[in-house]
Amino acid sequence: MKLRNLALPGLFWLFVAYLFLPLFVMAAMGFRDSNFVAFPIHSWTTKWYSEVLLDRDVMEALWLSARVAIFSTVLSVAVGLPIAFAVARTSGIARGLLIALILLPAFLPVVVSAISLRIFIGRIGLETGTAAIAFGHAVGSVPFVVIMVLTRLNTMGRNMADAARNLGADDVIILVRIVLPYLSPALLGAFMFCLLLSFEDFVRSFFLGGFEQTFPVLLFARLRFGFDPGLAAISTLVLIATTGFGLYAERFVRKRSLRSESSLTSGAKND
Amino acid sequence: MTRLLIHLRRYSVYRGLTDLYARSPLARVLIVSIVPLLWILGTTAAPLTQMVLVSFHESFPVREGETVHWTLANYASFLERPLYLTAFVRSFVFATVVTFLTLLVVFPIAYYIAKVAPRSRRTRLLLLVVAPFWVSEIIRSFAWIVMLANRGAVNSFLSFIGMPGTPVELLYNNVSLTIGIIYLTSLYMLLPLYAALEKIDDNVLEAAANLGAPGWQRFLRIVLPLSRDGVVAGCSLVFLLVIGLYAMPQLLGGPGNTLFATTIGQIFAKAGASWPQGSAFSIILTGTALAYVGLFVAIFQRRGRGRA
Repeated sequence: MKLRNLALPGLFWLFVAYLFLPLFVMAAMGFRDSNFVAFPIHSWTTKWYSEVLLDRDVMEALWLSARVAIFSTVLSVAVGLPIAFAVARTSGIARGLLIALILLPAFLPVVVSAISLRIFIGRIGLETGTAAIAFGHAVGSVPFVVIMVLTRLNTMGRNMADAARNLGADDVIILVRIVLPYLSPALLGAFMFCLLLSFEDFVRSFFLGGFEQTFPVLLFARLRFGFDPGLAAISTLVLIATTGFGLYAERFVRKRSLRSESSLTSGAKND
Repeated sequence: MTRLLIHLRRYSVYRGLTDLYARSPLARVLIVSIVPLLWILGTTAAPLTQMVLVSFHESFPVREGETVHWTLANYASFLERPLYLTAFVRSFVFATVVTFLTLLVVFPIAYYIAKVAPRSRRTRLLLLVVAPFWVSEIIRSFAWIVMLANRGAVNSFLSFIGMPGTPVELLYNNVSLTIGIIYLTSLYMLLPLYAALEKIDDNVLEAAANLGAPGWQRFLRIVLPLSRDGVVAGCSLVFLLVIGLYAMPQLLGGPGNTLFATTIGQIFAKAGASWPQGSAFSIILTGTALAYVGLFVAIFQRRGRGRA
């Protein structure tokens, strides 16, 4: 009986170990004082961690990834928000069809989505490169923005907007003063989620980048070439940055969402 | 911002526009639907149409002054070389098996977080298993290379505890690829399962227990049927993800067991890429995969409805 009660927590912590152990092992490998990846580690060094920050190719790839992430995130939210409004306003078959069409890119094999975009971009006379990658990443993240905003929109009653309308506010003012503030936690969440999604996206960057290499593409190219502790070091640094960012974003959004909930229920008096 | 808007209200253009929006249903429909329509057109409809068209071209890009020659040869080439057909079938079998394994691995985890762990700790536990998924596919592949390489962590550990016959060849086969893929996709199984399991009313389970149903019966007759939506959603998501994997099979899989998405990618990535052939293969893969998942979803939903 006791053993049975331990089985599920045991499995859970085993799963956690499966998730985290490889990442820790990779981080440790970055401290190996040698040119190739192997265990056990006899002598330790921090040189890879400092050396990789001076690697120009790596830094350029990271910078490109950052720029692409910002472009594609702004585009995704700018497009996803009006799409969510549109979906919220339709009903019946039209709504189902609209949702299906908007979610379709998320269900296509990524390779196929990337290649069809590559063909399309070539067809309308545009080039591969930064803008193409950013566009491609937005194609991947808009479905998630729509879902996140729509979920929040569905919890919003009509009362606030109706009250404002009775008090003489027109649609634009209702949008700016009531709807957008209410949606802000979802928008922030979508914003941060898109940044992470874009930073990680390999396949679309690979097919739409042309000669430009985002960080995952550079890492992929180098891994095929052979791996060294320097790659483990930079991967670890990126891992710490993205996980830290994710944790921060999660907390930030949760807090904000709680705050806006309480301010709406208690009535936003002091505004 | 609001002040600016209130200020703007005095001007007739703004008023005209908001009036138009408020009064004319047609204007409202146009304003609301323009962004979704343009986006769907530019990201899904047009690219896919182009891809379908290109798949019937004899060559692409079409040179200036030449006319397009239409052909079915690209589709026929799929059947000509056994290499393609083998990779295609292997992809579907492999993705099905991996999806099932992911379900087996993740179900107890989701059940533990949703039903067994104390309610106050649920968010924290969920966050603990979600956090590693903020790391990219390539970095996660690399982490498993470091684990499984001939002189990697696992082999080093095995020889440390005195296992004979080390190093064991752990990398570049179906097992290493499966471990890596479950590592990559389990979140997409976990979240739908968690959502479904969390909705199950504890009272139902308690009532069953009070009526004398043993644990396995509660699981088979209550938990599993009530979490069916989560299982179907999770399996569909994971399957579609696995069938489209491009990078990880190249990093963790062996040279002998390529998957079809990788084959397609390589048709495009190599010099002298044949775009029409790659397009045709993409359409074959997408069509079959969506039909396969659609059939799976239809069967399970019908069965569920029949019972209810």
